[in-house]
This record gives sequence, C-alpha cells and structure tokens, in this order.
Amino acid sequence: MLQQILALVIIAFFLIRLFWQKQKKQIRANEFIFWLVFWCLVAILIFSLKWIDKLVADLGFSGKGIEVLLYLGIAVLFYFIFRLRLKLEKIEKNITKIIRKMAIKDKE
Amino acid sequence: MIKNKVIVVIPAYNEEKTIVELINKVKPLVDEIIVVDDGSKDQTAHLAEKQKVIVLRHLINRGQGAALQTGNQYALKRGGEIIVHFDADGQFLAEEIKDIVQPLKKGEADVVFGSRFLEKKSEIPWLKKQIIIPLAHLVNKLMIGFSLTDPQSGFRALSRKAVEIIQIENDGMAHCSEILYKVFKNNFKIKEVPITVIYHNFGQRFGGGIKIIKDLFLAKLMD
Repeated sequence: MLQQILALVIIAFFLIRLFWQKQKKQIRANEFIFWLVFWCLVAILIFSLKWIDKLVADLGFSGKGIEVLLYLGIAVLFYFIFRLRLKLEKIEKNITKIIRKMAIKDKE
Repeated sequence: MIKNKVIVVIPAYNEEKTIVELINKVKPLVDEIIVVDDGSKDQTAHLAEKQKVIVLRHLINRGQGAALQTGNQYALKRGGEIIVHFDADGQFLAEEIKDIVQPLKKGEADVVFGSRFLEKKSEIPWLKKQIIIPLAHLVNKLMIGFSLTDPQSGFRALSRKAVEIIQIENDGMAHCSEILYKVFKNNFKIKEVPITVIYHNFGQRFGGGIKIIKDLFLAKLMD
C-alpha cells in the first residue's frame, strides 16, 4: 500500500510539472496530451495492481502484475527506439539531399 | 556534342596525397572528370580545382554513396553518355577505364562491373579474399537474391539510361549492393570485366562490413 502511495506521489509531481510547463508554453499541445494520458494511465494501472495480478495469473504468467508491466514497458521502449532510428535515417537522407543540391548549385 | 561522352566520377574524401596524380592519369583517357569532394578536411578540393577539372563540394561528409549520386546527377547535366565510377585512393588502374567502357560503347551492356576475380591477378589480402568477400557474397544473396564474381567492387561504368534510373539512396558503403540490386531489378544488361586492384591499405574492414549490413537492413525497412 505504501509503495502505491509513493508511486502516486511521484506521478502527481510529474503531472504538476506538466501543467506548469504547459502554462509557461514550454511544450506543445499534442505533447502535453501525450504525457497527460501517459501518467494518468500509469496511475490507473497502479491503482488496479491487484486486478492486474489476477489477470496475469489467469493468463498463465508466473510473474506478478508489476513485473509484467515492466516487460511491457521495455517492449514499448524498444518500439520507440526503433521509430527514432527510422526518423534519424530520414533526417540523414534529407541532409544529404540539401548538401547535394548546394554542391550542384555552386557550380551553376 | 561528343558522341559517347565519357565522364568519370571520382568521390574523394581526404585524398590530397593521391588526387593530383590520379586526375592526371585519368584525364587523357576520358572526356570529362567530376571530382566530388565529400567534405574533406584537407586540400583535396583545392588541389583538384587546380587541375582544371569539375569539382563539386559537399559541405559536410555524407559518405561515398552520397558523393557518387551527386556526381551522377551532375554528369547527366553535363550530357554524359557513359559514366564511370572510380576510387580516389589510386587502387584502380586508369588504363583499365577503356576496358570497362568498351562493352558500353559497343552496346553489349548497360552496366559494366570491374571484377578482381576474373583473369587478372590482384594481390588481395588473405582475410579479405577468404572471409570478408565470401561473407559479402552471402549477404548479397540473402538480401538481394544474387551476386557477381566481385560483389563489392567500386570500379564500374553505367550508361546514361542506367544512371537516370538508378538513384543511389544509401549514403554509406552499402551503395555497392544497392546498385547491384537496382541493376538486377531493372533488368539492365550486365557485363563483368577483369580489373587489377592495388591494395595500399585494407579498404573495408570487418566493422565496415557490419555497418553495410545494418544499412541494407534499414533500407529494406524504409521501403
């Protein structure tokens, strides 16, 4: 129980920070919504840990609910890294396009 | 207009030691030379310009594939009918340009690849011959579905039509496999010609090979 309260305090801290950043217009609207949904989801999951434990057990996993959440977290992180790499690759390609155009334009 | 205008594209990155000699050897044998200085930190571009050849400058280093594509595009603009790719480090023999161009002039092929493994004997380091190049074969076969006798040769000649269609999208060293792939995909007529390669240094090392595989893999995902 104490762990859950602690986790919620941390989430509350991040949420307050988020609203604060929004008010100072440091982040864009879509980013704000993404993180808002993200932290709310985490809070809901923490509230329903018991239910998740049961669900996970019913599905046949031997781990506890919190462990399964960790696995999922890592999977999501990998997905984000993958998307980042693709995006980087695209940026690299665009840089090359610009450099090429400049090189050829210089000659004209 | 020159009939069968031959333009040589030389991508160069920090090649101030070899570039002048190389240009002077190649110059009498072709109609035009385009040196693409790929963001060199030394005097490469300056020295090449002094030789009165076309020098295109990449402001920052983008890799050999990127430099070749820049050269290709400009060669098309200059009305090149036959475009030859030639390395700047002096590992190929300029005299052999005529051999590689010949099948194109005769209309026997659209793309001609220089091969280290036909007839002529190049002194290839053991590790490269026995391990790295066979691995390159394997990767090409797995990812593209075929290979040539020399899968990673940088000495090649392409017809105007081929250069118009083949856009090199891999900026790094994976362009060798990429060109091969696009040549096969578009059903261009291919010929391989024996060439001599002089090894001053090792060229692609193993880590470079790994990077090529990674680049090819990413390129597949992006398609």
